[in-house]
Amino acid sequence: MKRVLSTQELEQLRSSICSERDVSRPCIAVCGGSGCLATGGHGVVEALRDEITATGLADRVDLRLTGCHGLCECGPLVVLYPSKVFYQRVQTEDAQAIVANATGDSDTIERLLYVDPNSGERSVSEDEIPFYRRQQRLVFGNNGLIDPTRIEDYLAIGGYSAFTKALSGMSPQDVVSEVTDAGLRGRGGGGFPTGWKWEAAQEEEGDVKYVICNADEGDPGAYMDRSLMEGNPHSVLEGMMIGAYAIGASEGYVYIRTEYPLAVERLEIAIEQAREIGLMGEGILGTDFAFDVHISQGSGAFVCGESSALIASIEGKPGEPRAKHVHMSESGLWGKPTTLNNVETWANVPVIIGKGAEWFAAIGTEKSKGTKVFSLVGNVKNSGLVEVPMGITLGEIVNEIGGGVPEGHELKAVQTGGPSGGCIPADLMHLTVDFDSLTEAGSMMGSGGMIVMDDTACMVDVARYFVEFLVEESCGKCSSCREGLRHMYAVLSRICLGEGRAGDIELLEDLCEVIGSASLCGLGTSAPNPVLSTLRYFRDEYEAHIERKQCPAKVCRSLLTYTIDPEACVGCTACRKACSVEAITGERKEAHALDAELCIQCGQCFEVCRFDAVKVS
Amino acid sequence: MQADVTNECQCSAATGAVLAGECQGTAATDVTGAVLVLGGGIAGIQASLDLANSGQKVYLVERSPAIGGNMARLDKTFPTNDCSMCILSPKVVECGRHLNVDLITLGEVTELTGKAGKFTARVRKRARYVDQDACTGCGACLESCPTQCQPRFDTQRDLPVLSAEHTALLDGLVETHGHSQAALLPILQEINEICRYLPQEMVIHVADRLDVPVSEIYRIGTFYTAFSFEPRGEHTISVCTGTACHIKGAPKLIAELNRELGIGVGGTTEDGRFTLEGVRCLGCCALAPVVKIGGRIYGGVKVREIAKILKDY
Repeated sequence: MKRVLSTQELEQLRSSICSERDVSRPCIAVCGGSGCLATGGHGVVEALRDEITATGLADRVDLRLTGCHGLCECGPLVVLYPSKVFYQRVQTEDAQAIVANATGDSDTIERLLYVDPNSGERSVSEDEIPFYRRQQRLVFGNNGLIDPTRIEDYLAIGGYSAFTKALSGMSPQDVVSEVTDAGLRGRGGGGFPTGWKWEAAQEEEGDVKYVICNADEGDPGAYMDRSLMEGNPHSVLEGMMIGAYAIGASEGYVYIRTEYPLAVERLEIAIEQAREIGLMGEGILGTDFAFDVHISQGSGAFVCGESSALIASIEGKPGEPRAKHVHMSESGLWGKPTTLNNVETWANVPVIIGKGAEWFAAIGTEKSKGTKVFSLVGNVKNSGLVEVPMGITLGEIVNEIGGGVPEGHELKAVQTGGPSGGCIPADLMHLTVDFDSLTEAGSMMGSGGMIVMDDTACMVDVARYFVEFLVEESCGKCSSCREGLRHMYAVLSRICLGEGRAGDIELLEDLCEVIGSASLCGLGTSAPNPVLSTLRYFRDEYEAHIERKQCPAKVCRSLLTYTIDPEACVGCTACRKACSVEAITGERKEAHALDAELCIQCGQCFEVCRFDAVKVS
Repeated sequence: MQADVTNECQCSAATGAVLAGECQGTAATDVTGAVLVLGGGIAGIQASLDLANSGQKVYLVERSPAIGGNMARLDKTFPTNDCSMCILSPKVVECGRHLNVDLITLGEVTELTGKAGKFTARVRKRARYVDQDACTGCGACLESCPTQCQPRFDTQRDLPVLSAEHTALLDGLVETHGHSQAALLPILQEINEICRYLPQEMVIHVADRLDVPVSEIYRIGTFYTAFSFEPRGEHTISVCTGTACHIKGAPKLIAELNRELGIGVGGTTEDGRFTLEGVRCLGCCALAPVVKIGGRIYGGVKVREIAKILKDY
């Protein structure tokens, strides 16, 4: 593609791209998010391409592999434009019908439409689906419209216009105050005002400064940043370019998890395209602004999501955090002034510059502005990625967007904030989602993982799970974190094994206090949250484990006994076949028996039994 | 690497002896009656003993916790095929007990000033965590210590020689990523990707080319979970242990895989086909529980499907 040398040339290029496109021309958009690709998206694209070629319709229909649409539960997803007809769980066999429908040769395919699990209503277009109706998609909305590997697609929807607006019409100070006025706060979890960070870095003297994009999305159960980078990489880059212009940086780094190979690939393509077109490199758009971005890959360490550990890792050292009495804006990467923001924060920047601080600040609550993307997962009917305005209640997200927990179960808790967050019980679903109210409830907003738990989740096990995670991920620098967590894990494990002792709860509380107050970085200081919040809201479950040796949610294997009810058993042999240790005996059509001595409590028999004959107690 | 270090010490020890020789030419008043010998291998020990016996005060500085060096590891000595320890051990004992020899183990010279005959050396002595005056060397603490650290890099093992192809590959990686410390992680990542682990001989070569200690690479390799120093299986089975997968049954999948493959998490099957690992969130939370084998992701996996999935490989 031709290099553009000025803002005018970029606008000319944009209008020539737009004029070549016919918005009424049918386009089949297949979701290319990791979720849809894992459920067979690649095959669907191939089948559609073959079908289009076979029918000779290549000049009448476009086929596009887009970014993630969000409703990962129902993948692979296909959306037809311009009619916006939304098809879910598409299989390769459906290719013929979809192509015919796209060209208008046949009617909507009823069986592929989305059916609301609660009301049973069919929805034809994306906007009608309750999952999307309550969302407000500022940063995530374009994902479904563009092919992330084509910069032309991004330009066609107005991409890089916020950057040219900043570069040609705003001073760096203007950009910073615009971001400050918008009230944007860090989306990685801390919620620190982005504008303040930028201002500090801008004021630092120095010819070398850096901007860093923290794409080390380590929180288990969160994948918003992944989908943004895979679905709309240019929006993240544009945000970084605006930030670099504001603070005076000429180099940027994206630090990305090694578990996200597709995101790395798409970012690399995007960076290469931006360089080719002249939006990165020396003398961008005829000005003296120079900027380039490098990708740095992590190697599987959760703590590297912490800013100072992340910088150590880019420098080629083990990712150990340092004390933050010297701010990153003064001495960051290689000792130079550095501004570090999370993927979603960067993606919000073009929106703010493009539409103005006032417009952005009108969304959300008094102290938390804009929207937040959450990965709504766990025991919920519509799991996927949702972008909601700040101030929406937890209940609205879980019940209206997520469709509630699966039939026959009750909502127990919502976990937010990853291993640094906590579990919010079902009776607090009226809480609004913003930085401050979730912290008050003993959790935190975090980077956006929202794991819904129903009555099949044991809260002691959940606490043990997070502490185990933290034991492995603690870098070991502070002994309170390293040793304290290990002890906490030992105590929680013995409670789950039915060996809990009187006084264990108090011991846990003591350990929480020491770990929280004596650790250096955010990992250690927030490490007690999963334990403290479950102790606060689900103390009875701890007591049941310790005093009565029972696991109310029937999760902790050592506390369970499986039996077969001879009255209910019809002798179908399903459980006998499923049992891996041959603990179940019995002839066909006769009641089976389970040998408790041999049973390893794997729960297989319980899962396969269709007659409720296997009982757990 | 350990061998390199000791070689370096032996050279220095020889230098120490030369320094002592030069002293004799200068005026008696400018000469201190002490000699510093660097490196406690056989050369350093012999030099120290000769000097000490001729009346000089000797400071013998050795980087490792004990003197003896490489010769202590050898069975026979060229060309006479004499028993190495039979030659060495009396000298080690004599050196340790000689009133004119001060042993400074775990020490490194950081600065050397002055001129021939009158040097001042600054020695950095690392902590031993044991009071040497009180310790009788009974070995009881060694036996009762609950953890044992096996040396990761076994210098006594014959390392496979790096093939020309691999040397070229590593040199190519160094060229691409540069010689700075920041290049270390990307280089290790590529080796890990190609070989599925970090072979010792490659690590040593990279350490050499980037001029970073092997111990630093070991520290990095053990810090980041993506790296392994043990060969991994042909197919890596990663069970996602993210929160969503955990509450939707990932622990049960792991238990089933343990049973099916006969290995624990982190283990590799005997035939070298599978390595099982738990991974912290693969970012496909809506498909929980998720298992990844090679590049392929399986979503919504049920325990009873495990055996069937494994049959694909």
